[in-house]
Amino acid sequence: MHRSAALILLATAALGAHAAGTVRVVTKDAAGKPVADAVAYVISLDAPVAVHPPEEPVAITQRDQEFDPYVTPIVVGTRVVFPNRDNVQHHVYSVSPAKKFEIPLYIGESTATIVFDRPGPVTLGCNIHDWMVAYVFVLDTPYFAKTGADGTADISNLPPGRYRLEVWHPRLAGKVGLEVTVVEAGDTTQVVSVTLRPDRRIRRAPDAGGVDYK
Amino acid sequence: MASRGSFLTALAALALASPRASADGPFVSISESVTWQDNITNAPSGDGIKSAFGLESGADVTWLRSLDFSTLLTAGVAADAHVCPSYGGLESFSVGSTAEVRRKLGLGPLAPVAYAGLTGSATGYVDPERSNIEGDFIFGVSQRLRDDLQVALDGRLGSYDARDIVFSGNFASLGATLNWDVNETWRLKLMGGWRTGDTVANYAAVKSPYGWVAVDPEAQYLPGAWHYVRTFDEPFVAWRESSRTWSYGAGISPALGRHTSLALQFAHFTSEGYGRYVDNVVSVSLRHHF
Repeated sequence: MHRSAALILLATAALGAHAAGTVRVVTKDAAGKPVADAVAYVISLDAPVAVHPPEEPVAITQRDQEFDPYVTPIVVGTRVVFPNRDNVQHHVYSVSPAKKFEIPLYIGESTATIVFDRPGPVTLGCNIHDWMVAYVFVLDTPYFAKTGADGTADISNLPPGRYRLEVWHPRLAGKVGLEVTVVEAGDTTQVVSVTLRPDRRIRRAPDAGGVDYK
Repeated sequence: MASRGSFLTALAALALASPRASADGPFVSISESVTWQDNITNAPSGDGIKSAFGLESGADVTWLRSLDFSTLLTAGVAADAHVCPSYGGLESFSVGSTAEVRRKLGLGPLAPVAYAGLTGSATGYVDPERSNIEGDFIFGVSQRLRDDLQVALDGRLGSYDARDIVFSGNFASLGATLNWDVNETWRLKLMGGWRTGDTVANYAAVKSPYGWVAVDPEAQYLPGAWHYVRTFDEPFVAWRESSRTWSYGAGISPALGRHTSLALQFAHFTSEGYGRYVDNVVSVSLRHHF
């Protein structure tokens, strides 16, 4: 048997076994506007689900003295690298309880790989450029997705069952969660309204002015 | 003069030698400003008070080099041109260099930052009496209290060496600035400061058949040198004022993007002592980082 034919058979068997469904999460703020960079995830209420970190590390790039992406959802145990594409050194760090680390001054590819081994939000910064900020949200469930500019995220490949849907965002005020049921091969849409705190980031623009007085 | 020249030469050499291959940069900035000063002569009173607009254009290039994980050496060169439509003698062009060590005392945006450095410049005025070289020791500390609130304290000890002795001397200044970023665009600034070592010019001389004679004979006995200056096309005498000058001010500074900001500032200066003067300065400035 050809190898490709064997793979197709395996994939078909897997789909048949799970008949996976999708939960589409639509996030809106208090004004009804879509919320980007929110992490929507579901936790099985029927039985614990093991997470398997990807073999390849996830990259959070520094470009134009900003982190890219702004929000990165990963599962526990994922390795993350921080390539620096700027022509200036960065000093990446976190003092968040879920992961404390620092990668002192470097440029280009960093040899450091950080393993995020505890669930929770992690705030990233650069100790040289205070305005640089990004977030890693570490999950202990394999079912998650990040909302795009339209505020929508699709959590797919969900086996039928009962789940608790939760949403996280760097500016989220309070906690958002609700129970959802996934039926076999079914799609569910959940509209989630969230309250966001004001976006207060450190200003990057240079300081102008100053009276040069003699 | 020779020692100050040597100081500037050494400073320029340090600034130019620092940007080695492993340094970050160059980073280029330009700035433009328009300033209105209601007492450009720092005159105590009377007809000696002159006001004027000034236009200033500047550019600077800096390099950064890490000395360790928390310490940066900044080296830079700068050039400024100043135009004064009312009094051509005040128009100038200057070049200078800076070398500064900046250390962050901890991790994160709320860690304080301390710095100290040397600056030097050479300035040529249309009025050659004012042309000078200057060397300064600068120092300061800044502390971010919140993401949107920062306080900075700055100090400067400097020395001018001009062609005319009245424009030469030492000075010292201390300043404090509070920046509050109201939102992503708008910044409010409050400023206060102190300095000593100003030059005061006043309408205090008349031309007699025997030359320039001070109207106020006591002016000749003021502390420091005094001298007739031609800058204002009138018989002014200038002297150094060694008393303190206090200042306060406020400003707003909208960000015009990630790399550009505008600022509108007002500052009020009041000196103490024999030559007490009051000066108000309003400026509009634009700065852009490439």
